Amino acid sequence: MLSEYLPVLLHIVVAIGFAVSALLVSVLLGKSGRTNRTKDTAYECGMVPQGEAQPRFSVKFYLVAMLFILFDLEIVFMYPWAVVYRETIGADKTILWSMLSFVSILMVGYVYALKKGALDWKN
Amino acid sequence: MQAAVLEISALVLGIFLLLCEAFAGALDKRRLAYGGIFGLGLILLASFFVTAGPLQPDAVGFWSFYAADPLALFFKRFALATTMLVLIMMLESAPRIQSGLGEFFALPIFTCAGLMWMASAIDFVMIFVSLELVTMSFYVLVAYTRRNPVTLEAGVKYLILSALSTGFLVYGITWVFGVTGETSLARVAAAFSQPNLERAPALFGAVLILVGLGFKIAAVPFQIWVADVYQGAPTAVTAYLSVGSKAAGFVVLLRVLSAFFILPQVQRLLVAVAIATLIYGNLAALPQTNLKRLLGYSSIAHAGYLLVGVVSFSGAAVGFYLVSYLLMTLLSFTVLIVVANSAGGEEISDFDGLSKRSPFLALAMMISMLSLAGVPFTAGFFGKFMVFDAAIQQHQTALVVVAVVTVACGFYYYLKVIRAMYWESPARAAPIAFSQLSRVTMTGLMIAIITLGVYPQPILRALSDASHPVTAQR
Repeated sequence: MLSEYLPVLLHIVVAIGFAVSALLVSVLLGKSGRTNRTKDTAYECGMVPQGEAQPRFSVKFYLVAMLFILFDLEIVFMYPWAVVYRETIGADKTILWSMLSFVSILMVGYVYALKKGALDWKN
Repeated sequence: MQAAVLEISALVLGIFLLLCEAFAGALDKRRLAYGGIFGLGLILLASFFVTAGPLQPDAVGFWSFYAADPLALFFKRFALATTMLVLIMMLESAPRIQSGLGEFFALPIFTCAGLMWMASAIDFVMIFVSLELVTMSFYVLVAYTRRNPVTLEAGVKYLILSALSTGFLVYGITWVFGVTGETSLARVAAAFSQPNLERAPALFGAVLILVGLGFKIAAVPFQIWVADVYQGAPTAVTAYLSVGSKAAGFVVLLRVLSAFFILPQVQRLLVAVAIATLIYGNLAALPQTNLKRLLGYSSIAHAGYLLVGVVSFSGAAVGFYLVSYLLMTLLSFTVLIVVANSAGGEEISDFDGLSKRSPFLALAMMISMLSLAGVPFTAGFFGKFMVFDAAIQQHQTALVVVAVVTVACGFYYYLKVIRAMYWESPARAAPIAFSQLSRVTMTGLMIAIITLGVYPQPILRALSDASHPVTAQR
């Protein structure tokens, strides 16, 4: 009865199997133990590494990055819309108004972010 | 007028308030809350003029996602009333919010739009999208006083566990889609009743979806987050979580189960979940000394009673119980906010001798506690009565026995609060200040609890045409 779901099971087995075998092979065949202090340092084009490996970023960077992703994602919705636009617009104007309302909600969000100073880097 | 106008106007109201917040910097932010309450009141009024129609199984396009049946309209009004009351509570707790007061008042309106869409959702895609709208705004609201470490903990716990439960829900939806090839609830139900259905994967998907919804309604074993999140979140948000989020979870549960009850195992599973929820919620509430935590566990227990109504196929009992739960929970949380503002804490000992400091608040708290316990002549009693009656008619004897025993258990911890208010001596004598609006609200809620306890007909009449989708199909 469940035979149709065999591919799902196979997928799980392959996923787990790959992870386990990759780890096992690196433990068994990899030449561990020959490490030393110099080998463990970060490689920076032959220069002596300086500073922290994970420097702190300004929190504004995250805000801008989040806003970028938010407004970038709307493109995902616009592509399929643009593909069918020409065929459907003749019969029904709904497709135009639905996209306009969607974009205007985004526009409000953009104006709000702008007014709140989310894109203001200096402050 | 179409029912969809209601959600759209709520959304426009929310956006309008946000823009007011952004552009009118010098504005007293409390005005936004008054504007929100007024706007939601207008939408609530408008909801009585929209056209409701029965479900159309063969609807296409928008109407295959969105139902405007009486059940949906009833829960839309429920969501609007809850949000209005929560905004009043937020006004009372405004001094504790350090920053972003304007958004604190605007966010619940978006949540309200999501709750209203959830009430109408009859397609898994629509259910998922509206559920996310509700949950996302709750992520922000729960962690609103984030400088407080307890709140931060609550926010992180809610975010992670809620995201996990959403994952279960989506995975369940994909399995159901994999078996039936449909996302519309009506068509899924039709596919489930086919004789050549593959039972095991369908059941697997159904159980995963129930896990996701079980988190929303705080049923055992998905209740771990409740106590900490309820305690840490700002009190008005806790009240909103325990009423709004739970009611929306139950309306979705009622709709989804109309498709799933064709699988007989689902009902047995839900009976087990209901029994576990009743026992856990009531026993865990017994030793609590923090009133917010106590109300958190009590909300788990009430989810158990509501589940008894769900497994007895009684939409009317669930609806009435939710209305009584709305009244008594919001009343107790309003008193809690007012008292905590003056005492600085939410322990039961902060209520010591409240009857001498403010007889009005003590009376309000007593009525809500008696109603939560289920004393006759309160709305809570009638809600429990209807749920048990429905369960007996379905011959769920074991369920009723457990439920009645746990009700007796509930008396202990609810009456503990009343004892503190009337028999203990107060730590300080200063009278407690609160706004006139809160006084009017509390009086209204008290009157409603008593009225529905002796004259429940208005709600029953409103619910009679909003019959359970399951019974409609049988």
